[in-house]
Amino acid sequence: MKKSKLIVSLAVLCLVLFSFTALPTTSKYKCMVQMTNYSGEGAYIAISLINPEGAYEKTLYVQGDDEEWYHDITEWWKFQGKVRAEIDAFTGATISGGERAISVIEIEDSKINAGYSIRFESAVEDQEYYTKDVQFVLTSESVKSKTEGTGFIRYVRLMPN
Amino acid sequence: MTLSIWRYSHLTLALASFVFVFLATTTGIVLAFQPISEQLQSYKIEALDQLDLDQTVATFKRQYPEVITIEVDANQFVSASVITKNGTALNGYFNPKTAAFLGEKPEVSNLFKFTTNLHRSLFLKSTGRFLVGLGSFLLFLIAFSGSILIIKRQSGIKRFFAKIVKEDFSQYWHVVLGRLSLIPIVIITLTGVYLSLLKFDVITEDKPAHNIDFSNNAFAEKQPDGTVFNATTLAQVVSLEFPFSEDEEDYYTLKQDSKELLVHQYSGQILSQVNYPMTTFLSDWSLVLHTGKGSIWWSIVLLIACLNILFFIYSGFKMTIKRRQNAVLPKNKIAKDTAEYIILVGSETGSTYGLATAFYKALLANGQSVFITDLNSYTTYKNAKQLIVLTSTYGEGEAPINAKQFLSVLNTVPQKQQIQYAVVGFGSLNYAAYCKYAQLVDANLQLHPQFQPNLELCKIHNQSEMDFKKWALQWSKSVGLDLDVARIKVSSTQRKQLAFTVVSKTEINIDNTFVLTLKPNKRLSFKSGDLLSVIPEQDGVARLYSIGKIGGAIVISIKKHEFGVCSNYFYNLTIGDQIKGVIKPNPTFNLPKSKRVKSVVLIANGTGIGPFLGMMQDTNPVVKHLFWGGRTTQSLQLYKTSIDASLNSGSLTSFNMALSQENNTRLYVQDVIAKQQSIIAEVLKNNGVIMICGSIAMQNQVLDTLNQITTSRLQQPLSVFEHNNQIVTDCY
Repeated sequence: MKKSKLIVSLAVLCLVLFSFTALPTTSKYKCMVQMTNYSGEGAYIAISLINPEGAYEKTLYVQGDDEEWYHDITEWWKFQGKVRAEIDAFTGATISGGERAISVIEIEDSKINAGYSIRFESAVEDQEYYTKDVQFVLTSESVKSKTEGTGFIRYVRLMPN
Repeated sequence: MTLSIWRYSHLTLALASFVFVFLATTTGIVLAFQPISEQLQSYKIEALDQLDLDQTVATFKRQYPEVITIEVDANQFVSASVITKNGTALNGYFNPKTAAFLGEKPEVSNLFKFTTNLHRSLFLKSTGRFLVGLGSFLLFLIAFSGSILIIKRQSGIKRFFAKIVKEDFSQYWHVVLGRLSLIPIVIITLTGVYLSLLKFDVITEDKPAHNIDFSNNAFAEKQPDGTVFNATTLAQVVSLEFPFSEDEEDYYTLKQDSKELLVHQYSGQILSQVNYPMTTFLSDWSLVLHTGKGSIWWSIVLLIACLNILFFIYSGFKMTIKRRQNAVLPKNKIAKDTAEYIILVGSETGSTYGLATAFYKALLANGQSVFITDLNSYTTYKNAKQLIVLTSTYGEGEAPINAKQFLSVLNTVPQKQQIQYAVVGFGSLNYAAYCKYAQLVDANLQLHPQFQPNLELCKIHNQSEMDFKKWALQWSKSVGLDLDVARIKVSSTQRKQLAFTVVSKTEINIDNTFVLTLKPNKRLSFKSGDLLSVIPEQDGVARLYSIGKIGGAIVISIKKHEFGVCSNYFYNLTIGDQIKGVIKPNPTFNLPKSKRVKSVVLIANGTGIGPFLGMMQDTNPVVKHLFWGGRTTQSLQLYKTSIDASLNSGSLTSFNMALSQENNTRLYVQDVIAKQQSIIAEVLKNNGVIMICGSIAMQNQVLDTLNQITTSRLQQPLSVFEHNNQIVTDCY
């Protein structure tokens, strides 16, 4: 009898542990995108999670809510356009030159310090498209950092909420 | 080209841009509903100008651990982006007094998104934006040239808003609505152009950069009062961005209409202030004025202006097509120096060209050598025997555009031989300067030693084809030609001929008069007093008859003339015969519709009673007095049954008769009227109307008598009542 009790409690423990790992814990981050003083239309910006192999894993946020122009963010749209994951909950307005936008993004804790990166792509109607305007590896240090941009973005600041 | 430079530009611009203007306008109509639908939502918080920003910030901070932005939009809705106590992001409208969440921002509907895109760029990105911007600019030029045309038409800028003479539907409303929507259209187009220029960086908004030197600021604790947040009401705020983190160097960004402030998050000190440049101010206003954001009323004005633009496209092209149809004179087959007949045409809009061309062709068909040109091209004509001038008048009696030089050239160009001339003026009786330029031309030719008149000046109202044919007949007789005037035909818009059946025809009485009753074969709406136009095959010239309406049938009283083409045509009809004709509405000679008119006096002699035969049986509850003048008691027999029936039924109140050849009394209708002064005075005094139908001679006598009555009884000349449209006539 004692043995069977042990098996049951082990099974319960396993179940508990398993369900814990199955439900990934996520954290919220405040993310500020500051644009350069470019002139023209508001920029579309896609924020995505990139896996260690360099492929798209997930869309975290999109600045710009008119799907019609999403194909301007070429690389990202190759991914998002296919999977069509629901992104309505995390879209905002486009950001114009000199403006900044603050959004709240959610990242699974397991992706931090695991070789995953965050990528900011930017595109402006009739102007350039920057695939890696900002991209950096997610570490416990980088999630509270400020990173300079290479295109329309002047810098990105991330902060755990 | 007879069109003036302004008219020409107005048209050319319209042709060049109408596709874009049409697209931009139709989409604009849809988009006008966007600000309207936004305004109808109930997120508006009253008295934003009483809330200071400091309070609001405090309220929000108390409610939410993290506030990202607070914005106040053009509709005075307050929206914010916050993170709640359980860590979720919340975006939408808030009540700034309590920081309570009111609701999510409704997504802009796909219809508006789609339409906005089409409106801005026709889905052609930069190319499209450029085209729409250009279209907008062209529309501005159209509005400008249109205003100049109105000023010219109205003869002076001061008369810009004076009454417009109604020539036809398209023209009248094009001008009326054009004046009314001029200002909104100018605003829409200029702001549209400005917004396009912004997009193409022709105008740039160079916002000065902020310059913060943190090292210079010793940031102490928060100053208790007097910070910029205390001094700013929520109504002055466009947006407030909260500091990104608690870091000392993160700050508030406060945007207002004309400036942007960076505010220290702990001390409340202003770290930096930049004032927006003028271009930003203009851009904001352009956007507000162009889109109607934040104001239902302005949106509605914009909507109406857009609808008007659509109407302008329609009416403008309708007018153009109409003018095009007769805008060019035919090519001459005969040289100017060989032709015996010279036709000179003066026209501003080309409308006179139609009749001129028809006349030219009729002369050619008659085997004559004719040369046609505009008045400005007047020169020597070596072989000319007859000169015919057909001209309209422009504005307040000026020469139309293609005749401006004629009068000066007339005296410098010598003609070798004597030439006979005739002048026909075209115009509208609605203008004070009716055919004034034609009079001028006629007078100048009369003074000229080389010209002899063979006909008096003839004035033609509203391009009446019938009147012109009459003149052409008269003219061809005077020069000894047998012109086939039936060939003179322009109006492709001629109403469709309808068929009527002869229902009854009375015997002819001693005055050679009979009454004909016709029934339209199809259901037809008309009134007593309207005109029946019949074109007998014999001569092809239309005749007009005043008709009465009795129970859906047409009643005409006709006097048979020995050589009258049309009266004999009617006389030879028998019951059951079919005839063709057109009913022309004649609203000025229908029974008055206005409720103010309680009584009418109907005055006629002879066959002029025709329309009244219908009116007196009309059940319209208006008091009707009939005066009729005839020759003998026998003359009355034709109408007696109708009159008695109307008197008995009460639809006719009184009947007074004058017989001119009975019992040697020689009584005329004006004599009976003179005896019944009180009826006339009473009717006129109470806004009643006097309707006169019959011969011109009778009309003039009656008007004299009426004038005596009004001057003695009402102490006012008859002209006062004539001006008031209380005297209407239909005489021949």
